[in-house]
Amino acid sequence: MASKADQFKQAFREEGHEVLVDLESALLELNDNRADQELVGRVFRALHTLKGSGAMFGFEDMATFTHNLETAFDEVRNGRLEISSELIDLTLSALDQIRAMLEEGLEGAPVADPEACAEILAKVRHLTGKPEKKFEKKVVAEKPAPVAAEPVPDALAETGSNSSDSSAPAREWSIRFAPGPEFMQNGANPLLLIHELKGLGGLAVRSSIAAVPPFEELDPERCYIRWEMVLSTTAGRDAIRDVFIFVEDSCELQIEPITEPPSVSAPSVTAPPQGAATTMSAAEVTARALEEKRENRGGRRTYDAPDNASSLRVPAAKLDQFVDLVGELVTVQARLSEIAAKHDDIEITSVSEEIERLTSSLRENSMNIRMMPIRSTFEKFRRLVHDLARDLGKSVELTIEGADTELDKTVIDQLSDPLMHLIRNSMDHGIESPEARAARGKPATAVIHLAARHSGASVLILVSDDGGGIDAAAVRARAIERGLTTENAQLTEQEIFSFIFQPGFSTAKQVTDVSGRGVGMDVVRQRVDSLRGSIDVSSAPGQGTTVTLRLPLTLAIIDGLLVRIGESFFVLPLANTQECVELTQADVEAANGKHLAHVRGELIPYIRLREYFNIRSPRPPIEQIMIVETEAGRYGFVVDQVLGDCQTVIKNLGRFYRHVQVVSGATILGNGTVALILDPERLAQDAVRAVAHGARGRPAATIAAAVKQSLREGNVVQQRAI
Amino acid sequence: MGVTLKQSETGILLCLEGAVGVGCAAEFKGMLAQAFGSDREVRISVEGATDLDVTAVQLLWAAERKAKNAEVGFSYVDAPPEALLASLSEAGLQHLIFPVNVL
Repeated sequence: MASKADQFKQAFREEGHEVLVDLESALLELNDNRADQELVGRVFRALHTLKGSGAMFGFEDMATFTHNLETAFDEVRNGRLEISSELIDLTLSALDQIRAMLEEGLEGAPVADPEACAEILAKVRHLTGKPEKKFEKKVVAEKPAPVAAEPVPDALAETGSNSSDSSAPAREWSIRFAPGPEFMQNGANPLLLIHELKGLGGLAVRSSIAAVPPFEELDPERCYIRWEMVLSTTAGRDAIRDVFIFVEDSCELQIEPITEPPSVSAPSVTAPPQGAATTMSAAEVTARALEEKRENRGGRRTYDAPDNASSLRVPAAKLDQFVDLVGELVTVQARLSEIAAKHDDIEITSVSEEIERLTSSLRENSMNIRMMPIRSTFEKFRRLVHDLARDLGKSVELTIEGADTELDKTVIDQLSDPLMHLIRNSMDHGIESPEARAARGKPATAVIHLAARHSGASVLILVSDDGGGIDAAAVRARAIERGLTTENAQLTEQEIFSFIFQPGFSTAKQVTDVSGRGVGMDVVRQRVDSLRGSIDVSSAPGQGTTVTLRLPLTLAIIDGLLVRIGESFFVLPLANTQECVELTQADVEAANGKHLAHVRGELIPYIRLREYFNIRSPRPPIEQIMIVETEAGRYGFVVDQVLGDCQTVIKNLGRFYRHVQVVSGATILGNGTVALILDPERLAQDAVRAVAHGARGRPAATIAAAVKQSLREGNVVQQRAI
Repeated sequence: MGVTLKQSETGILLCLEGAVGVGCAAEFKGMLAQAFGSDREVRISVEGATDLDVTAVQLLWAAERKAKNAEVGFSYVDAPPEALLASLSEAGLQHLIFPVNVL
């Protein structure tokens, strides 16, 4: 079991990575909006958090390294240094090193490069004109602090009073600080924060033990002591708050001005020198001011009340296990419902219905827990676009839309790679050189647009660029050259574009570091396939390309319609299913043998699943057509009987059957029977292809039997990694 | 680094060494409770301590109160390192556990 220190470190690592994502995003935004002081503040605070918290959790190297960067952005905040591309790039490079420092000690983790770090710091120092600064987390005085002390050299004194504006007049601030119940257990240390506060100016400190309980009742890992402090500083409220930025949610904190900044002519008698330790008597004097302020406070949080944290951090593995168990519960509940249906017992039926209701509710809740906004995935591509644009000598802006769109964590985790390849491809091949853009009358700065939005039970992820578009003729010619199609084949534009996802397919004349090997787009297709998604490409010559990924919201459980053909059972995703109509012998004859159904004046092509899966059983006189919406339009799937809706826990087919794309998984029904979950999209595509090629494109007749045989043997079904 | 308990005929000696913080706070409280359970004088050595966090300070303060109420002897057998005093003083904690006569 991990020690507490290890747990703190791990918690900090997780927080740290989130801070780094925000920092990277802020830096890239700052690159485009260099006068935005709010962004400068965001960068500064993120660096400050990494420094302060890093020191607390034992990442001393990271704290020192970050301290120097923080100083640079403090200079920017104070208007002494301008934002430049060099500073942004240096800080971005520094982030990579900090990321490695965060992972320090973990198996297989990248290691920070000391030479690169030294080079970055040297360049930062060159920009700021400041000497290297050592960050020490704690002052170590040679002598005991005297009751009325001379100024004690502060650990940050070398840096000047960090975060403060020495040209501004000093003022006094009342700071009330009470750590909450979890404060210490989160690895925070009040003493370090107070030390850091002292770096801002003269500090009078009074601790209060009023809340410390008797020895027997004392929780040894909780901080009961509170502090009242008076800080005399030229720094503003934000700089003071920055000290507590990492612990703000786990403490009670009040920062209020006691005195207005003195006018230029007023004698400054109250402000001790920056970094000076003050006397206790000074604290007593200012305590009066604190008392006055105390009377006026209100609306403060109390930590004597039960802990009321609004959110908590749970390891993803625990969440996966929880959703797994919910999945199993759904299966068992289906069995119970079936048993209840067989027994005409009102009590069993009543309990079964109640469990069904609760299971459904639990399922929805567990699915919601796994839903995450796609923001962080999108945001990290700002860096990729920035770096690639620099390397390729292009000017490219990344715009983001729908970053708050939520989808399953597993889907998000697997989206990074395909999105990266799509963006790299756009940057390298789609977006023209600045000269070519100018010649076409396009703005010099190209745009890559990342968007996410819901569409039924799916999420659409769009990657668009305003580049030159895909040359359909070149793709077609290359496809013919590679034997993927023939000269005479009548292909739609969509079919031609689909070749770009073939392994090793590339029309690039040059292989670059970025793309051109024909690997990336193949990876995109494979990953999207594994997510049960689909890809659509639209492109207009000279105007750009949009690649749309359609992905399921979740991979774990779906609502489906259970259907039967002979003795075989199938599940059709409910989200795709629109309606069900009857197909009689008269209808078949009226269509002159064509697989077309008349539905309220509309002709809808249908696929007989009995024939498709080669199921040998007598056909009933009246069949059912499930009308399903696909990207290619509405299609019908003919089945014997529609048994009703069901919540379906998706189980993966083993790797031997992963190429069977018309079946997206399997599920075990309440009576133990295996049902195949169909992918209507691919089923329709496969059927159309089979018709176009005059034969079945896939060995469909044998799929079901083979899969079902394997399922019966129980050796290929795996719980989907949800 | 942390706390060790030594028993003698006259009392119990708790030696604080290195950094004594939240990581060993539960253990520290347990040792203090054990020391009180012996009904003998409780003595604390802080000479080897380099860092006490707020949990250690609270425990020592509460233990001293308890000892007073129970009329059990409680004392510091040596002076804390100066650096430690300075760091506690900075946070306004020094006077809670190290009254002037200890210095």
